[in-house]
Amino acid sequence: MTAEGAAVAGAPSRIEGGVDAIVVGASADGLVAAAYLARAGLKTVLFENAADIGLPVRRRAYGGDKHGVDAEHLVFTLDPQVIDDLELYRHGVSFAARRLDTVYFFDDHEALHVSGDVRNAANDIDDDDEAAAFTTFLEDVFEASSFLRPLFSGAAGRDFKKAFNTASPALARRLNWMMTASVDDVMASYLSEGRLRTAMTAETVFRTSSAPHEAMSFAGLLAKWSGEVAGLQAACGVPEGGVTVVIDALRRAAQAANVDIRASSAVRQILIEKDRAAGVSMEGGGQVRAPIVVAAGDARQVFLSLVGPGALDVAFQQDVAAMTPKTATAQLHLALRGSPRDEETRANMARRLVFAPPLEALRASFSNARQGEVSDGLIIEAIFPQVFDQEAVNSKMQILSVMAHPLPFDENPEKDRQEEIRTAILSGLEKFAPSISKRIEADQLVLASDAPAVGDGRASAFAARPGVVRQLALASLCASGGRIGGLYFCGPESQIGAGLNGAAGRNAARAALQKFTRAGGAP
Amino acid sequence: MIFPADDQLLEQPRPTPLYAACASFSEANVWTSVNGFAAARIFSSIKAEYDAARNGAAIADFGPLSRYAVRGPDAAVFLSRVASVPAGTLTSSESARGLMLDDDGHVLDLVEISRLSDDLFLMTTSSSQARRLQLAARGLDAVVENISRSVAAIAVLGPGAYEALAAAGLKTSGENSASSTVLRGVETAARPLQFGAVAGAELIFPADEALTVWERLLRRGKVTPIGLDAMEILRIESGAPRPGADFLVGPNTDQHKRSSPVAIGLPHLAPLDSGWFNGRRALRYGARKSETVLVVIAVDADVCQAGAAVRSGNKDIGRITSWAWSPSLKRAIAFASVPAGAAGKVDGWTVQAGPDGQAAASLMKTAEGALAAAFLADQHSSTESASIVR
Repeated sequence: MTAEGAAVAGAPSRIEGGVDAIVVGASADGLVAAAYLARAGLKTVLFENAADIGLPVRRRAYGGDKHGVDAEHLVFTLDPQVIDDLELYRHGVSFAARRLDTVYFFDDHEALHVSGDVRNAANDIDDDDEAAAFTTFLEDVFEASSFLRPLFSGAAGRDFKKAFNTASPALARRLNWMMTASVDDVMASYLSEGRLRTAMTAETVFRTSSAPHEAMSFAGLLAKWSGEVAGLQAACGVPEGGVTVVIDALRRAAQAANVDIRASSAVRQILIEKDRAAGVSMEGGGQVRAPIVVAAGDARQVFLSLVGPGALDVAFQQDVAAMTPKTATAQLHLALRGSPRDEETRANMARRLVFAPPLEALRASFSNARQGEVSDGLIIEAIFPQVFDQEAVNSKMQILSVMAHPLPFDENPEKDRQEEIRTAILSGLEKFAPSISKRIEADQLVLASDAPAVGDGRASAFAARPGVVRQLALASLCASGGRIGGLYFCGPESQIGAGLNGAAGRNAARAALQKFTRAGGAP
Repeated sequence: MIFPADDQLLEQPRPTPLYAACASFSEANVWTSVNGFAAARIFSSIKAEYDAARNGAAIADFGPLSRYAVRGPDAAVFLSRVASVPAGTLTSSESARGLMLDDDGHVLDLVEISRLSDDLFLMTTSSSQARRLQLAARGLDAVVENISRSVAAIAVLGPGAYEALAAAGLKTSGENSASSTVLRGVETAARPLQFGAVAGAELIFPADEALTVWERLLRRGKVTPIGLDAMEILRIESGAPRPGADFLVGPNTDQHKRSSPVAIGLPHLAPLDSGWFNGRRALRYGARKSETVLVVIAVDADVCQAGAAVRSGNKDIGRITSWAWSPSLKRAIAFASVPAGAAGKVDGWTVQAGPDGQAAASLMKTAEGALAAAFLADQHSSTESASIVR
């Protein structure tokens, strides 16, 4: 906290002016937005409830000295423009692994190894026919994803119809089809029934709320594969030191740009005066006034609590209120005794491990999750973060970070429910890592309700993302800040797809800067 | 408050609390239904009813309209949100009218609001808006009670309205202020009323008292019951468009068929320079320009027809949306929907009127039209300076 910030906290009735832009919430997108605004020369203040910036993705201790990484354990779609513009490599981001291979496990105890460079993944397939089919599938999906990337990130607006007109007729047809088709439909037209199809299906619907047989569910894979890690499309990477490091780098980038970061400063209300954002009032009293307010909390928190229904259009309020997710992802950290004996296990520990349940079971899981029930046909993604962490290399314990999907979303899960989810995840793990349960030294379950996107925000980074088309609609709705002048939004709802990205923060800052300079407020 | 269009397909309308009284007075026995309620079109003669409202006092059953009591600390915030009425700036007993808009700035309904006390408002809408009001109240400390079914309402119209009310011993607190008392546990209110160009008062009271009040007014106040057909003349003369007839409203109306406040000729009811209301942002930041506008025209003919083409030279440019025969002008007057660009230049317009063919039409000055014109002129000069900031 700066000296000035301390003075404000100590003087509840004070009204602070001279600020150009306020950012509420130090999520990745909040930090990105703040950094962009400050780099453009605006006096920018960032408020965060928590005492520690980037807390939701901080490494945190559990079960003694063993550490896990909260929230994301992998990076899929970190916006390359953000990395460049904010010089994140200079601020400490580096990748311990940038093209993590994936091993898919199946119900029949078989495994499928897929190269981290997905473009070449077909080389790993033994069967020639299957390899040829997979190559065609990959080429088509990659072409579509590359085309869609600027649309998903919002960098080039989100007018799909207009953009599709610029594509070749064949590509436009394919884009239209892939954006609206179900996973089952698309898979069936490329891949024969079998493990590869099961694996790709799991990959597509992981962390989304769309079951594979539902229309528009395939777009989930297009969104995921439109991202890149360190220049490689559709890759997945592990930052050196975990995802926390990315947040730390964003914080450093923001500080380097002279963002006034004020931790432990809870915003009570976003002030709307004459139908424009006018600043914020603080929980402890006092106001900070600025013509630009960028909100990085989730939509319900920002619009229903901080702005308040008295300043929202009625149908917009209804849309925001309806954003409660039905399905969610859970994370389980396990501290395991013993070390791997055989070479293959050791090799696998440096890979991304995914259990892909049979399609029938997966469908049932989605339908059960929506009805609030836990089933055991879960997609499980596991990594051993320690393997990528130089500091932890000598530890005798192994940490396993597991994400499981789809599970029901509870705002206040009870003890029984937590135990039920833990059991289901462990039973999923046992399917490809037999008797792993016996080696558990300590474990910790993180549910969607425990992993808020920002501060005490309600919906979380672990809530399942709705179908891509719905996400796009919500994103443009929210990004317009409910059409309140001077209010910009970069919460999780403004991002397409799950995971750490940063494009939403960049878009919010860009929109704010455009308006600011047009209004003659150029710094 | 203007009635919405008749529900022409409804076979068995519900009676209003005043149905029995109206029926016993209706010599013509011509009925229609509005919002699902039976409403008399003619009692004795349209001309006599019209004259009474113009020169004496006429009473009408306003039961088919929808009414809501809004209470609570956030009542003013709630009302300023759902309607383009700055309810917070009304002092006790003041009334104001406005529009209810959707998020995209299209008109959903006409609204009148009276502040009866600090935290009690009475809201009248032409059609039922219960569902929308419940949604809009979410998250606010305001309770919206639909009192449409539990109250009866009588409008007393004309220059003799207050005299008639006084003669009937019905207490009203004045020609410009609303007042309320509690009668048998139901809020009873008297509020000033402007039906088109005709001023008057509206009494809202418990449904059980309906017949007593009606009788009192008729016997002591020397008033004439007025039906919808005569009120239609008053409405068009004053330039007040009718929801559902002159412009489309309702949840089932396509987005692109809904109209902006400018398009229905009521821009002064949704001013953009005062407080926020639902839909204001859309109107302000990039709502589409309205393609058509409503104008009132006088037609050199005795009859006309809704849907008849309005022509300029040999070209069809618009259509009649509603019409009536005006006893004072001795000709047909009508609302016409015409292209926005054409509204100013009415030279050589004709209207297909009856079997005689084309009849010449001329633009008519109305009270509402004058308000809109004054407002737009004022807004034009103020937005020129405002647009530099935004």
